[in-house]
Amino acid sequence: MTAPSTTPSSPPVAAEASIQVRNLNYFFGKGDLRKQVLYDISLDLHPGQIVIMTGPSGSGKTTLLTLIGALRSATDGSLRVMGQELVGLGNRQLVEIRRNIGFIFQAHNLFESLTAAQNVEMAVELTGNFRGKRQQAVDILSQVGLAERADYKPAALSGGQKQRVAIARALVNQPQLILADEPTAALDKQSGRDVVTLMQHLAQEKGCTILMVTHDNRILDVADRIINLVDGRLESDESPQQFVDSHAPKSLDQKMFIM
Amino acid sequence: MRRTPLALLNLTHDRKKFLTSMAGVAFAVLLMFLFTGFKNALYDSQTQLLSRLNGDVVIINRLKENMFVPRAFARRRLYQAQAFDGVEGAYAIYISDARWKNPDTRKTRPVRVIAYNPSDPVLPMPEVLARQQDLRLPNTALIDERSRAEVGPRETGVITELADREIRVVGTFSLGTDFASGNGNLIMSDQNFLRFFANRGPEEEERSFATADIGLLELAPGTEVDRLVSALRDGLPQDVLVLPMNGPEGFIARERTYWEENTNIGFVFSLLTTMGFVVGIILVYQILYTDVADHWSEYATLKAIGYDNAYLFGVVIQEAVILSVLGFIPGLLISNLFYNLGAAVTGLLFQMTLQRVVNIYIMTFIMCLISGAIAVRKVQRTDPAEVFGL
Repeated sequence: MTAPSTTPSSPPVAAEASIQVRNLNYFFGKGDLRKQVLYDISLDLHPGQIVIMTGPSGSGKTTLLTLIGALRSATDGSLRVMGQELVGLGNRQLVEIRRNIGFIFQAHNLFESLTAAQNVEMAVELTGNFRGKRQQAVDILSQVGLAERADYKPAALSGGQKQRVAIARALVNQPQLILADEPTAALDKQSGRDVVTLMQHLAQEKGCTILMVTHDNRILDVADRIINLVDGRLESDESPQQFVDSHAPKSLDQKMFIM
Repeated sequence: MRRTPLALLNLTHDRKKFLTSMAGVAFAVLLMFLFTGFKNALYDSQTQLLSRLNGDVVIINRLKENMFVPRAFARRRLYQAQAFDGVEGAYAIYISDARWKNPDTRKTRPVRVIAYNPSDPVLPMPEVLARQQDLRLPNTALIDERSRAEVGPRETGVITELADREIRVVGTFSLGTDFASGNGNLIMSDQNFLRFFANRGPEEEERSFATADIGLLELAPGTEVDRLVSALRDGLPQDVLVLPMNGPEGFIARERTYWEENTNIGFVFSLLTTMGFVVGIILVYQILYTDVADHWSEYATLKAIGYDNAYLFGVVIQEAVILSVLGFIPGLLISNLFYNLGAAVTGLLFQMTLQRVVNIYIMTFIMCLISGAIAVRKVQRTDPAEVFGL
């Protein structure tokens, strides 16, 4: 199936969408306390795209991210991730889906007791590859520039290095979809920039889709698309330039995107 | 290459915390060992003299319910028993309590005197056999070197007073105390027993060779003990009780059962052991829960990237099992020290048998499993979606 190009700036990859959301509604709570947090979301994300999702807090960004990441079960509408319909799946099947997704969190969430390589190997072990896990871990760590830090424990790594290990962990199984939640929030400007550049390279090289929630205006320029979510509704879906035009000069300094 | 040993690494990562955890488990193990140790020591000690006696069948006064009851029986019953087929030897043992004067402090303490004809093989302990000739001299005795410290120096050459009469220690042996032994044990010849206990004055019971406290029968090889015991029961007057030495209905088992059933030792120490067990559960639960709580976001991340509950359950249970092993070893070693110390101070018999070690390990293992099962619920409930937006 060929997805219609929904954005002006999407690259000319017209293969099957990695994520296809149709009329997705989501509610928290039950009975009288039932509260709708997502309203009629429809969205297509294509391989090789980096999509940034922004929006005020409470707008439902994280909820949407966790639904796409098979961390919550959607009940209403349609949510296809890498060709697999998630609506109506049981817990066990959701766990299976998650194994094919790379997750990057705001906190690195690395085990302090494990070395960088061992933390990455934990992800490799999910594929059952015990023999080659060390090699795979070291390879991916060299790709994020940490070859010589493979046997360091997180306590001996800087914040940026730790986040790069976390990225290596997310990427080691070569997922076609990467979900990132504020990956630069805990990092200084330079480390944050390094991390997103790295993600950009990997997206281009491996052709994977990256969906990133961020408030960090310094990194908006890496995006192919910027989706703005307000009060659970898709407010806008634009290229970074359009986004800047529509939001500047009130809230954004355009110079930020020049570097 | 196998799975990353996450459980082991998480436990041992923080050395200080790991040592504290191990100490916690070791402490619970120590409590359980001490309390079961005291219980067993009190029971085992009651039979340590009996199990050294050399005989297959025992004759005692029917009223002598346990070793604490000073009831003697007519010695002629022994001669009567000797007439039965298969009885090779019949030996009389005379037992009495007497005041022993500590030669250093001049204070008197009750001790138990065990007397018999030195030519009879009643207590075939090498250090006793070696002193047979010395025991025949007047006013001599052997002293139990595991008597309590209150009796003073427990060594050859001590001269002091027993029942207000001078006594000379000509050797030592190793036995240990029990409820009926007072502060220690002496072994002397039957002749000396008469010297000390035949005329002790108006308030004390007079002893003679007419009565004995325990009769030992040695059987000819190949004699069936049970058959002989029933023959003796039928043939001897009903004032004596005939018991086999060993076996579930035997003299030794009877003594042990008496103390088990007629004292609160079992209840008290079982209760204390259970408390040690519960303390252990709480300690291990704290350790495991802290680990889970400290690594909550990491465990949630594992769940997010595709590990299932069974894996996380496995990690916590592995931690519990590792703790049970690593805490048990120091616990066992320290308990062993305490057992030796306890034996030296009290004269009770502290036995660290393989069976008891295995039992306590099983208890430790169950203790850790219970704690692990409680702590693991925290991980099971972890919602991986919550890792986002933290």
